[in-house]
Amino acid sequence: MRLLRASARPKCLLRAPIVATASTRRRTLLTLAALVACFAAIAAQLLRLGVKAEPDFHLNIAEPIGQSWSRPDIVDRHGQLLATDVATHSLYADPQLVLDSDEVLEKLTGALAGLDRAEVRRALADRGRRFAWIARGLTPRQAQSVHDLGLPGLAFRTELKRVYPLGALAGHVVGSVNVDNKGLVGLERWLDDMGKVEAVQGTDRSAKPALRLSLDVGVQHAVSEELQAAVTRYSATGAAGLVLDLTSGEILAAASLPSADPTRPSDWLELSHADKLMSGSFELGSVFKTLTVAMALEAGVADLNSLYDVRRPLTIGANTITDLHPSGRPLSVREVFLHSSNVGAGLIALDLGADRQRQFLAKFGLIEPLRTEAGSIAPPQLPKHWGRIETVTVSYGHGIAVAPLQLAAAMAGVIVGTKVTPTFLARAEASAPAARVVAPATSARIQEILRLNVTSPVGTGRKADAEGYRVGGKTGTAEMPGRGGYQAKAVISSFIGAFPMDAPNYLTLVLLFEPEPVAGIAPGITAGLNAAPTTARIVHRIAPVLGVLPRLIGRAEPTDGPFDAPSAAQ
Amino acid sequence: MLRIINLTLMLSMLVGVFALYAIKYDARQLEARVQTQERDLEKLENNVAVLIAERAHLARPKALEPLARGLGLAPIAPRQYLRLEPSSAANVIE
Repeated sequence: MRLLRASARPKCLLRAPIVATASTRRRTLLTLAALVACFAAIAAQLLRLGVKAEPDFHLNIAEPIGQSWSRPDIVDRHGQLLATDVATHSLYADPQLVLDSDEVLEKLTGALAGLDRAEVRRALADRGRRFAWIARGLTPRQAQSVHDLGLPGLAFRTELKRVYPLGALAGHVVGSVNVDNKGLVGLERWLDDMGKVEAVQGTDRSAKPALRLSLDVGVQHAVSEELQAAVTRYSATGAAGLVLDLTSGEILAAASLPSADPTRPSDWLELSHADKLMSGSFELGSVFKTLTVAMALEAGVADLNSLYDVRRPLTIGANTITDLHPSGRPLSVREVFLHSSNVGAGLIALDLGADRQRQFLAKFGLIEPLRTEAGSIAPPQLPKHWGRIETVTVSYGHGIAVAPLQLAAAMAGVIVGTKVTPTFLARAEASAPAARVVAPATSARIQEILRLNVTSPVGTGRKADAEGYRVGGKTGTAEMPGRGGYQAKAVISSFIGAFPMDAPNYLTLVLLFEPEPVAGIAPGITAGLNAAPTTARIVHRIAPVLGVLPRLIGRAEPTDGPFDAPSAAQ
Repeated sequence: MLRIINLTLMLSMLVGVFALYAIKYDARQLEARVQTQERDLEKLENNVAVLIAERAHLARPKALEPLARGLGLAPIAPRQYLRLEPSSAANVIE
């Protein structure tokens, strides 16, 4: 065995000399063939690429800079668009690639009007940066003109920009966003607070459903136009108007003049453009007498026929309360309301007392701050000490300042008898019945005197009578506080009404700030001469839109001339 | 026999490599096409958004009202309403 092994080992270890045998040649040929096949395959693929190359092959580059926010659309109750996102071009610079910053600045100024030269110069001068915004939200034409300049170091990004197709209409309600599409005020801010906006890079539009508001664009426009006409007619410094659905609390129109344009966020910083319905609290005067009468009826202290002696001024301590047109006889509660007697309202309130007055106002939410989706409402300013004189002044709307929207909600509660919570969002379905705040009999009496104030020859709201639409309401003329006390010639005139009064569906509020007398139309500045007729014009325009039918049958005579509403005739 | 198997396997491998490369390349091509189409879709969606916004802008009440007034139209006046009562001969249109 050993011998056999020893003889076999050298045989295995021996290497035969390399000789090109037939077998080796075959192997070489095979290897060559394989290589040729590989190269042929590569060549074929290259040929295929050359013939079938996709001309529009794009390379995606991550864009980590310039985060934006995509926001859901905002529409009115009928789906009319109020705010949406569109993709726009924004221009930026890479200062390191800019060859001649002076040339760039000069050419850009020519292409983009309103460019901040100092800001751009500063951005281009910072060579340490690789990215600096030059102008954002350019129109396609502006972007094309900059592109045509062919300047190195400039490039575009597309990003979302909020646009408002209806301009300043309902601007205060809709609100505004900043340059990154982030909500600043109004419902735009509410969208952010509710987490309905998404951070995006690029132009991915929001897939969330549109925010449906309670506003009706047609009603909103009519209110805005009539308020604007009233501002011009009565030379007022501002105005505000509101239309509220009494059954649901939905706000159908909310206008404040001067208006605020959502595309100009700076409007919100100017005091004159502030929303007069929500962001300010005012002493609103005699409209408060509606609450005073409701308070007395609800407490059972008086009924509409109870008499109060208003022949003499009411004196409390060093203060004397008088009436604009003193009556020579005692007046019933109904007459106190119709004549808008301060003395009468004061006497009614004194019968109730400060505590019950405060509790009643608290029941309607007039003591606590109110909040809506469009933002916080200015908190009410209440008397620090609620004594006898404060009880009297509050009874006719002085010494207490509230936001007009808050007062409108309280008035709505008195008219329908249940708590009305104002909202700017369309209610998806009928909400559960609200809590009752006054007895049905009280709200029925209030409806009666509100209507009487418009139909009676002695009512202060006679000019609010929109023919056929059964308007009722209360006027208020409140002197504005100024240096050295109240200013007799600077007033806030208001009219809070409802229609149709046989079954009140809608509440209207009109405020005019510092109206002036107009020869032939309004010899004075009281609300009955300006806010009341403005309400009539508004109701004439919006009642058909809201489906309220007039009651003129049997009295209306068609004419040959063109149909026109009183508003158009002004 | 073994050589034939080796040769077959090597050829199969080469074919496989080529096929894999081709598939991968096609996938990239398809991916690029998808991206292009997604970009086109986004562009179209943005165009639609702009058109909707422009339509809303053109149909805003402030723009339509002067046109309507120019045509002699106005808000419905109360006297334009008529109650249709079967018993009323005055409302029968002949």
